[in-house]
Amino acid sequence: MVLVSAVRDYVNRMLQDISGMKVLILDSQTVSIVSVVYSQSELLQKEVFLVELIDSISKSKESMSHLKAVYFLRPTSENIQYMRRQLSNPRFGEYHLFFSNMLKDTQIHLLADSDEQEVVQQVQEFYADFIAIDPYHFTLNMPSNHYYILPAVVDPSNLQHFCDRAVDGIGAVFLALKRRPIIRYSRTSDIAKRIAHETAKLMYQQESGLFDFRRMEMSPLLLIVDRRDDPVTPLLNQWTYQAMVHELIGIQDNKVDLRSIGKFPKDQQEVVLSSEQDAFFKANMYENFGDIGMNIKRMVDDFQQVAKSNQNIQTIEDMAKFVDNYPEYRKMHGNVSKHVTLVTEMSKIVEERKLMLVSETEQELACNGGQVAAFEAVNNLLNNESISDIDRLRLVMLYALRYEKESSVQLMQLFNKLASRSAKYKPGLVQFLLKQAGVDKRTGDLYGNRDFLNIARNMARGLKGVENVYTQHQPLLFQTMESIIKGRLRDVDYPYVGNHFQQGRPQEVIIFIVGGTTYEESRSVAQLNASSSGIRFILGGTAVLNSKRFLKDLEEAQGIARTNANSYEKVRLDKSAHETDGSGSPLQGKSGRPHISPTTSVGRKKFQIVVNGKRSSISKTQPQPQPQLQILKLDNWEERLFDPSFCVVTKSFFE
Amino acid sequence: MAMRNRTWLFNKYRDALKGARAPTRSSAAETAKLRARSGVAPAIEMAGTSLLHSKRSYTVVSTEDPGNSSKGAATIGLPPAWVDVSEEIATYVQRARAKMVELGKAHAKALMPSFGDGIEDQRNIENLTNEITNLLKRSEKRLQKLSATGPSEDSNVRKNVQRQLATDLQNLSMELRKKQSTYLKRLRQQLEEGSDVEMNLNGNRPKEEDDDLDDLMLNEYQMAKLKQSEAYTVEREREIQQASSVLLTVVESVNELAQIMKDLSVLVIDQGTIIDRIDYNIQNVATTVEEGLKQLQKAERTQKQGGMVMCASVLVIMCFVMLILLILKEIIF
Repeated sequence: MVLVSAVRDYVNRMLQDISGMKVLILDSQTVSIVSVVYSQSELLQKEVFLVELIDSISKSKESMSHLKAVYFLRPTSENIQYMRRQLSNPRFGEYHLFFSNMLKDTQIHLLADSDEQEVVQQVQEFYADFIAIDPYHFTLNMPSNHYYILPAVVDPSNLQHFCDRAVDGIGAVFLALKRRPIIRYSRTSDIAKRIAHETAKLMYQQESGLFDFRRMEMSPLLLIVDRRDDPVTPLLNQWTYQAMVHELIGIQDNKVDLRSIGKFPKDQQEVVLSSEQDAFFKANMYENFGDIGMNIKRMVDDFQQVAKSNQNIQTIEDMAKFVDNYPEYRKMHGNVSKHVTLVTEMSKIVEERKLMLVSETEQELACNGGQVAAFEAVNNLLNNESISDIDRLRLVMLYALRYEKESSVQLMQLFNKLASRSAKYKPGLVQFLLKQAGVDKRTGDLYGNRDFLNIARNMARGLKGVENVYTQHQPLLFQTMESIIKGRLRDVDYPYVGNHFQQGRPQEVIIFIVGGTTYEESRSVAQLNASSSGIRFILGGTAVLNSKRFLKDLEEAQGIARTNANSYEKVRLDKSAHETDGSGSPLQGKSGRPHISPTTSVGRKKFQIVVNGKRSSISKTQPQPQPQLQILKLDNWEERLFDPSFCVVTKSFFE
Repeated sequence: MAMRNRTWLFNKYRDALKGARAPTRSSAAETAKLRARSGVAPAIEMAGTSLLHSKRSYTVVSTEDPGNSSKGAATIGLPPAWVDVSEEIATYVQRARAKMVELGKAHAKALMPSFGDGIEDQRNIENLTNEITNLLKRSEKRLQKLSATGPSEDSNVRKNVQRQLATDLQNLSMELRKKQSTYLKRLRQQLEEGSDVEMNLNGNRPKEEDDDLDDLMLNEYQMAKLKQSEAYTVEREREIQQASSVLLTVVESVNELAQIMKDLSVLVIDQGTIIDRIDYNIQNVATTVEEGLKQLQKAERTQKQGGMVMCASVLVIMCFVMLILLILKEIIF
């Protein structure tokens, strides 16, 4: 309840002191923040009779001076501009401004400048800058989430923007909880380190007065990890209710949009799945698919009984009772039809995409199993016609992540097969993923095969057997949290920021995953919180991922990296073109070293590669034949950006 | 839950900036009064006094300066007419709530055992119930008046006000019916108990008395007992009549309330559904406004292409042509 109640308290405080009819004006981010914790009927109780977005309200010119305006915005420069325009032509009687994060002095100055008519009554900072989707799970819902994958030099301004938003969100969470934490981050991730240091700077130096709360015996812990430490969890198919709905259909701000998957009656096109408002969902959100089916059947039976008793109305008392119970009856009816619709749709999707079959192999790949059996299984599924492209891609990625170092020949075979089978597959995506989240880039022991204790544990688990093959995977986060509970989080892997050290175990831990969280991880958090371990965990991320979103982020990052690499390469190639003979014809390098020369204009990137005397032209429009080359381990960051097929070429080029 | 109040800093900046702006504005003043004061005002501002003093002097300038409208003083302008309707309904709701409390007390009093026949109590309860039902009915009728048409922002405000009042009314009517049903139940229980007790009394006494007394006495006693039992039955009948009349009134009010509830349920939002989400409502407003715009544009276009305009212009041209022909005919012949 902690996060939801914090945001609700803020909204209550905003509205309670202002009497009379009010209008609430939000921006596109704060509307999500408020919608997940406050309902329209509650707003009406507080006499807020109009809710608007700030960009649409600037278009209309009606003057409604009998209303008082309450603005709740993020302190971005865009919003400040809108505010200035509105303050110079005020439409409402009074203006109360609330900002969801810290304002800079210049921004206050700008606002004061435009408030010529003195309509602003108060300007406050209420730190509700995060979307509290579940009691212990928050997200920042960043639209351009993929920047965490790219190194800093590719797009520094956007990356700075990304980091700023993350730091603001984390700062707001701690201000809402009134704590100042000790910060640790994942060693191998640059962006985690950067966010950790900037957060420390904010909390301990820049705004240390604001963060100076009463010290408890144990400060809470903020742990910043990178999504790339555990790329397996977002790729898996899920079988527990909330995670499954998000994976197959998609949940946004606790709303599910069913219009994309079929035709529905008007009131079932969009539904709300919130554990606060729906008791059935709260009881079942972490149950697996089979149990949900049984619980829904029970709910439908109960409802049918109630409906039947409403049918035979004979006496006046019956009529009176019916009219009494009618609102509850209607609510129950709506709830039942919502859950039945969701489960039906999901069953349909599972049937179509043969997800039971695919998921079995996925879980094998993620948890246990030998390499040979896995290869067989993945091969068979790739040959199967009814498996969709995205499922094939996920299988190959999971296989590549697990067996990256063993038998590269088989890996190549799988890549070839994938490229030939899937028409829309962009080449190099799996390799890109391996480069970003390969075994050398990860902190922590994703597959439990790095230290002896984990291997032993895995063997024990294999011998014991699992109760459900489809839900046997535990995300890496679970292990991290367990080591925190035992007080054994290694300093080597997760160093501290600054010179704060902590002996013993913290009472509250906030884990922030740069790149996004998944509902499977929030389920582990909820389960650990329910077991009385004495520590309260809160999970947050820059977005909530499912496999589609994760793959989209990878693709976008790859696209940006590629364009950047090409423009970079073009610069280098122009320079080299001057260095060749005046004729510009490709030089036969000494000792058969290959050279690259550009042939055509900027539009089509066509390169001629001379490899050991033989000329082979490779153009970007055709799928590249995968040469029998080993993927080299490259240290230089520039070379990381290029595709593996160019690896050999470019390495020698830069020598 | 941390928060930070920036109002002080904001006011400081605002006043400082107003000071920087005011001298320029007063120099371009229109009225003589301002011109007279403009000599004084800059002197106060440039005094460089503390924040408190400068604040006071700025307020003086602001109320005199015609450039700044006196919005600081009269911030809330005159509300539109429908606000009065909503306030009226709100007062009805308040009154109804007060009466409900009274009704509760009257119910409790009527249920207590009393020596009188309790007719006044019944009448009191009836009156109160009728009044409350009337208030609810009147509020509901006025509520219908609040509905507005057109996609303006004002209509959204009206719709939301309507929704909130509808929720209040529905809650009140449900409360009323619950009170009535509990009262009825208790009343029925009491009557049954009373009748049981009386039956027992009637049944026991004859047995005891018959054996002990002689015939004459018996006769007299029997007559007296008969009269007593008659009185009892009369009493019982009256009570039954009262109870049935109460039941009838209750039935009537149940019917009325059911009607009201049906009308209101259209207006009231169900909790927990998608309609109860703020972002859904914002999107819908946006789409309906856009739809309205599209419809208007379409209507404009069809109007322009309308046959009416064509016909009228054709007819006018024909008139001119005929006129010219007429003139030519006159000239030639």
